Amino acid sequence: MNTLDRRMIIPPVASALALAAGIASAQEINVIIEEVPDYDIVRELTEQFMADNPDITVTFDAMPFDAMRDRILTSSLAPTATYDIIIIDNPWSEEFANAGYLEPLDGYIAATEGYDYDDFVPALADISVVGGATYGVPYYNYALGLIVRQDIFDERGLETPKTIEDYQTVVADLTEGDFYGAAMQPQRGYKIMEEWKNWLYANGGELFDADGNIIINNEAAVTALEQYIETFNAAAPPNSGSWGFDEALRAVASGSAATMLSYNWMLPALNAEGGMAGDLAGNFALHEVPGGKAVLGLWSWGITANSENKDAAWEYISWISGPEVAKQRVIMGGAPVRTSVLNDPEVWEQGFGEDYYTVLAGILEDAAPLSSGNNAEELIEVVGTELSAAVSGQKTAQEALDDAAAGIERANR
Amino acid sequence: MHLKYKMIVPLVLVLSAIMLYPLAFSGWLSFQDYRLTRIDEVHPVGLENYRFVATDPAFLNAMRNTLTFVFGAVTLELILGLSLALLVQRLRIMRGFVRSILLAPMFITPIAVGLMFRFLLSSEIGVVSHYLGLLGLSVDWFGPQMALLTIILIDVWQWTPFMLLMFLAGLEALPKAPFEAARVDGAGPWLTFSRITLPMLMPVIVVALIIRALDAFKVFEYVFATTRGGPGDQTVTIMYFIYQTGFRFFRMGEAAAAAVMLIAVILVLVVALVKFSKIDRSKG
Repeated sequence: MNTLDRRMIIPPVASALALAAGIASAQEINVIIEEVPDYDIVRELTEQFMADNPDITVTFDAMPFDAMRDRILTSSLAPTATYDIIIIDNPWSEEFANAGYLEPLDGYIAATEGYDYDDFVPALADISVVGGATYGVPYYNYALGLIVRQDIFDERGLETPKTIEDYQTVVADLTEGDFYGAAMQPQRGYKIMEEWKNWLYANGGELFDADGNIIINNEAAVTALEQYIETFNAAAPPNSGSWGFDEALRAVASGSAATMLSYNWMLPALNAEGGMAGDLAGNFALHEVPGGKAVLGLWSWGITANSENKDAAWEYISWISGPEVAKQRVIMGGAPVRTSVLNDPEVWEQGFGEDYYTVLAGILEDAAPLSSGNNAEELIEVVGTELSAAVSGQKTAQEALDDAAAGIERANR
Repeated sequence: MHLKYKMIVPLVLVLSAIMLYPLAFSGWLSFQDYRLTRIDEVHPVGLENYRFVATDPAFLNAMRNTLTFVFGAVTLELILGLSLALLVQRLRIMRGFVRSILLAPMFITPIAVGLMFRFLLSSEIGVVSHYLGLLGLSVDWFGPQMALLTIILIDVWQWTPFMLLMFLAGLEALPKAPFEAARVDGAGPWLTFSRITLPMLMPVIVVALIIRALDAFKVFEYVFATTRGGPGDQTVTIMYFIYQTGFRFFRMGEAAAAAVMLIAVILVLVVALVKFSKIDRSKG
């Protein structure tokens, strides 16, 4: 073969080898994710990640909440994972970690320079620590706050309610004709449990005591449920006993209700110009829930134990949840999970204003998850069913909570 | 092997794969402590799952709700379907158009029907609630007094057309001679209906009842789309109970035991219905 021939052959062969090497190292990571506003931001940001890391392709499988749990389960039971990355709702953390579905991330976290894990709000980061190992890192929070029509409160000279008793009085006074003080969410199961547990916290109650004994039917819990029912009867719209999040939000956004206990990040959505609240945009404010201690919700990023692309998955997770991108995500409208982001004046200015982030930091300081343990999902359903029965008048508060205690015992047998 | 046996081998294989194996597996599951999140700890527990489910107030409540639903929905569908079939049979104009319109609900997927009624009956934005409000009426469609009835009415709206279709086909296949003889003898409409139409239509009615009842036992979508089983546990049906136990709480052993018990209840009811119809016909 002469020199010319060699010159003609070598470049294509080299290109082919390079291409083959590229193909061999190219990795596709699949992510199961919930269709929420934060996902739109994540998807947009991920374009940048893929541009910077051409050897990693991130594919999202976005779906409604109801479809996620069984998909994660089937992927985790398969010999190789359908999903390399899953987002984990906080009641699932212990269950999935103990089932062996999740890869411990401690080694990855320690080896990632500049990740600053300690910057995550401690109450959020702790949710994914099971048996001393870290199985997830925070994605976005959905801690509950009190959203009010601040214009009406200001006009009437009303103080922000600090206790449940204050809240009961204020919303009852605001109820007049077709206008209601509180848009509540007594839908059976998760929704009523999520709302009522703020009332339980306000009365100093919990599901279990420090020794693990069931205390859901003690005096504090009964008082909390009776107060909840009184408020529902006095200040919630008629025929709203089956309302969930959508209905309550619509009532507040359309101007037929003055307050609701909801996810803190609904405030920017309500105040957005040209958004769901129309002309009422700008009139809503976020406060800490009456009683001070709020229900804490969190979605975390996790890597499946049966994934074949764990390193690439962590590459992506550490990027999307790292300090820089986390700040960018919040400026674009995402829900914060890092302390540095919550306290960053640049975020306040370019995001939703100092007030919102200051109140949110206060909420996250004193908040606790809805439920934990291996059967958290079932406990929420069991208690939520009994709460609904009490609100609809089928049982007294004491009867419903006694039955809830019995249900928890059966579920935990 | 004889050719006729060879011919049915593919069918037997397919049926075994898609029906017998899952059924046998469910039966096996029902005797195991089988939790999807503890797949390495599966072990036999004898009749424990059956004992647990049979004494679970939630299961008993779901069974009661389901039987109420099946009885209520199928009875209403039978009465309405038969009445509509008798009317449509006599229709002389626009027969095709009327039949198409009446059959339309059957072709919508049940989850869409559930969502549709969730919005139509919503106390906040529902068209039905709005117009009832103009008349001074306020109905809490998904409240404790109405929720199960509302689910029944949704099913009636969707599946009465099926009854109509079955009865219309049955009516049009009936021989004309007995009706002409009755007319000549001066029998009135009620006598003709009760002594000729109904007895002759009985085999079709029994088949329609069995098909609809079997289908109604599977009610899930309306509950999922509207009430999620609430308020309290008033609209938890047996399929919703099994879905929650198996696919939300991952307790597959108990879910399988509940499913086997449901099959037993359905079998008893179907056998009783068939037997009743035979006695009725032998009397006739």
